[in-house]
Amino acid sequence: MKRLIVAATLAMGLAGPASAACSYHNTVPLKTLSAAFEAWKAVTSAMAECGNVQSELDQEFRRKQPAAFAANPSLYQLGGVSNGTIVPLLSAGTIRPLDDLVAKFGQSLSPNQLIRVDGKIMAIAMSVNSQHLMYRQDIFAELGLPQPKTYDDVLAAAAKIKASGKVAYAMGATFKPGFDIGLDFVNLFLGFGGTLTKPDNTPSFNGEAGVKTLNAMKAISGYLDPEYLVSESTFVQKQFQQGKIAIAHLWATRAAAMDDAKESQVVGKIAMVASPAAVAGGKPASTLWWDGFAIAKNIPDSEAEAAFRVGVAALNEDMVKANNGAAVWLIKGFTPARAAEGAIATAMAGAPPYPSTITMGIAMTAIGDNAADFLTGKKTAEQTLAAMEAAYLVKAREQGLVK
Amino acid sequence: MNGRTFGWFVAPSVVMMLVFIAFPLVFVFVQSFHATQSVFETVKVESCTPGFLGQVCKTEERSRPKLDAAGQPVRETSFIGLAAYRTVLQPDAVWAALAPGGGGWDAVMAVDFYRALRFTLTFTLVTLPAVIGLGLLIALAVNTMARSLRGPLIFVSLMPFIVTPVIGALSIRWLFMGDGILTAALRWMTGSHISMFAQGWTIEVLMLVYRVWHVAPFAFVVFYAALQTVSQDALEAALIDGASRFERLRYVVIPHLKPLIVFVALIHLMDAYRVFDEVVGFSSEAHRISLQFLTFNLLTPDQAGNRAVTRASASAMLTMVGVIVLLVPILARAWREQRGRA
Amino acid sequence: MNAALRLPAGLRLVIGVFVIGWVVVAAFPLLWTAVMSFRVPADALSGNPLDVLLGPRTLETVGGGLGIGVTFEHYWAVWVTQHFYRNLLNSAVVTFGVVTISLSVGTLAGYGLARTRSVLAFWLLVAALVFRALPHSVLVTGYVPAFLNSAHWLQPLWDWGATGWLFHPFAARAPTLYGQPLAVIVVLVAINQPFTIWMLRSFFENIPAELDEAAQVDGCTAFGAFWRVIMPVMWPGVITAGLFSFLLAYNDYLVTALLLDSQSMTMVPAITQFLNRDSRASEQIEAIAAAVSITAPLFVLVMAFQKQIVAGLTQGAVKG
Repeated sequence: MKRLIVAATLAMGLAGPASAACSYHNTVPLKTLSAAFEAWKAVTSAMAECGNVQSELDQEFRRKQPAAFAANPSLYQLGGVSNGTIVPLLSAGTIRPLDDLVAKFGQSLSPNQLIRVDGKIMAIAMSVNSQHLMYRQDIFAELGLPQPKTYDDVLAAAAKIKASGKVAYAMGATFKPGFDIGLDFVNLFLGFGGTLTKPDNTPSFNGEAGVKTLNAMKAISGYLDPEYLVSESTFVQKQFQQGKIAIAHLWATRAAAMDDAKESQVVGKIAMVASPAAVAGGKPASTLWWDGFAIAKNIPDSEAEAAFRVGVAALNEDMVKANNGAAVWLIKGFTPARAAEGAIATAMAGAPPYPSTITMGIAMTAIGDNAADFLTGKKTAEQTLAAMEAAYLVKAREQGLVK
Repeated sequence: MNGRTFGWFVAPSVVMMLVFIAFPLVFVFVQSFHATQSVFETVKVESCTPGFLGQVCKTEERSRPKLDAAGQPVRETSFIGLAAYRTVLQPDAVWAALAPGGGGWDAVMAVDFYRALRFTLTFTLVTLPAVIGLGLLIALAVNTMARSLRGPLIFVSLMPFIVTPVIGALSIRWLFMGDGILTAALRWMTGSHISMFAQGWTIEVLMLVYRVWHVAPFAFVVFYAALQTVSQDALEAALIDGASRFERLRYVVIPHLKPLIVFVALIHLMDAYRVFDEVVGFSSEAHRISLQFLTFNLLTPDQAGNRAVTRASASAMLTMVGVIVLLVPILARAWREQRGRA
Repeated sequence: MNAALRLPAGLRLVIGVFVIGWVVVAAFPLLWTAVMSFRVPADALSGNPLDVLLGPRTLETVGGGLGIGVTFEHYWAVWVTQHFYRNLLNSAVVTFGVVTISLSVGTLAGYGLARTRSVLAFWLLVAALVFRALPHSVLVTGYVPAFLNSAHWLQPLWDWGATGWLFHPFAARAPTLYGQPLAVIVVLVAINQPFTIWMLRSFFENIPAELDEAAQVDGCTAFGAFWRVIMPVMWPGVITAGLFSFLLAYNDYLVTALLLDSQSMTMVPAITQFLNRDSRASEQIEAIAAAVSITAPLFVLVMAFQKQIVAGLTQGAVKG
């Protein structure tokens, strides 16, 4: 109890005077847990302006969230989710349907923001995100290279850039084992026309599309900093900012940082374009993601209402205008800037949404844990794909998805 | 002291160890033979995700966990015997690999458990002599220094041991990662660019070096303290017998230190066997994993939010077996002494 | 010293070089990290060691003296903007709790173990040794679900009349243990008990048993003898054991990272949050500044208690 009071006074002392900027004055102590990228920094500080909100921003939220929301009472009222991270919460039944709250307090939301699963609204989206191609347009212009449309173009350009010696490494890629390399695999795999699972939930990675995907990744790895297996988005972002690489397939949320003069030595030199296709004439080899928030189930309705109203109030025009470059917002007031061009082009060219399914979650884990073995040469492509399928089946059987 | 008084003195400590160590262990043991599964149902559902301008709605068949009336997923627990151990140890894959025409050593190493075991054992057995050797050398060297210098030398030497392990690992990593200062120095010395985090063996070397750096001061301090109590009479007697410097070290000093060398070795074996911080600190999971990391990794929720609790329990139990094998010789010796005392 | 034992000059030189080499290896990573924390990112992350040492760009943009650039902006960001002092307070609470409880429980058990010859005591020590060797992640990840749902499964203790009267004064409902510093303190004490009782037992064994036997003959109870006669001569041992409890609690990462939430987070896991958040170069240097901030008190500690630490490290060994 004492701790609650201390926390409450701290929160009020911090957020009290600023609450003028928020349209909703909140009196219920609330806690949020979300990822830590720029868009979430903007939204959580807008939430704090409503009063009594404590936000935890942590890139490890993926690991913490399922357990924290399963607690009764839930440790957080509001959680930042995306189409990947909402899956554990949905399958554990720890977030609540929002239909009644949307009807009462959600007038400012556009229909596009309502995430429906099973016919019920389960989350409110704030932005879309995707990985797309970024490249150094100054270097491309000097070498007379055209904008790459396919991965073959990308590799051809990389070869010329490597030969020219203008940058330390021609390419950057998020090949860190786990989520990062897993998503790179999935993007290409879908681009090559593969389907990850069969209708009976058994895997189908081990085929032509899988081999092609691994070979494409191997080809890319030849142009990377040899330490690519510790490379995640921030690592690649820094490589770009320090002018060490010329091409990368990177998240739209990282685009604004390229033009931040305090950090970046390549301001205005990076072109943001649609993801290249895996095969000529194909759709971009990338997946569309959304980010947004969901409300915990194991909390009193009064807290859920307050959390929902704070969330909706934070997604306002002023916040978007002040942070226009931080994301591709789905909120009124957003004017697509240079940083958003790539994501929008990728979406418009028909990149598929990343599916929020349990099988996808298991497949991603199996792929992310095993893909590196092919790149390091420990296993052949077929062995790697077989290991992925075996890992998938172990997990799927453990969970009862496959008999 | 009678049994009852003894009981009162140790009770608080024993209760805490029972509740927080012994009980979880029993729980893990039981869990390694049971599996908990969700019950899935296949349903046609409509789901909508936002595009940039419009919304994409799709109706499709999906498997989803069945929820009960209270909205909790329905779960079933069943006894599975040794199935989890089989999944971890993969005896079939090992037989296939060891059979003629199988993949041999490389194929065995493709199984995570053996990969982790190989690294954990190498890590333990390579750092052990290095820690003792380096600790002994520093102790002997410092012992020859002027007394006024010894205090500051001990102070500096203690730093790697006392510093927060996570921070120690990070500071080494900052020195080597990317264009870190020591990577640059290596390039300057060798003329070629060596990326320390690009291949397995360099990371492994870095992890070994880090651990030796971290623990050698402990060995040093223990040995140094013991050197203060070496009998001067024995040394002088050896001198009169015409023993050389090396012979005095070999026949007088080392025997005096022997129980302490055993002690340091024991502590180091226990700590090195559960190597974990290095794997996290150096992000080495693509190249090298340890047994404790394997368990930890299985317990971490995957992209679908599930922990492989049963397999993790089995892997934890197998790790335990290793600890006990390691301790058996020491425990046997302690038991003989106890019998002698009683 | 006997003249024949004196070292020849050549050997002296070799030893001197070796010791200097060791001092550099021991101190360099930590000192270098400390230097980095006072430079702007462009200098701190530069591949040229002179840039890091002298900080030319720091000098240009921020200032400094004697041709060396120094900036305190990262420390300001960590301590003032990011409220790192809250983590310091949390660390202080957890560390203080662990040291006091660990010593109270541990001295009792250590004394009991040192003064008995029962087979039970032997097995207790063996069990403690096995517990000492256990991988912690195995235990700690087991606590997480239990701690998260404690409000649910502890509630019967509150509802049941026989125990309810005891717990109600503390809280109206059963608490969620996750994020509670007290829960983490108890876990850390338990995990560190094996080490503590082994060490304290060997300290008590060095105190002659005749001392407390005499006290008991004079009419003291066992506890009275322990408290009035033994404890006064035991202080050096207790201080040493306390130092090690302090280090274990202060340096812990695994337990605190898994069982504390952002409001009760101690300093060490908070660092990894800084690192996970680093989408900007300056945030990485802030993590370094925070790391240096954590290490500084340890420096002071070693300076003040060097003798006790050395004694503690050797004490466990004597009986080993």
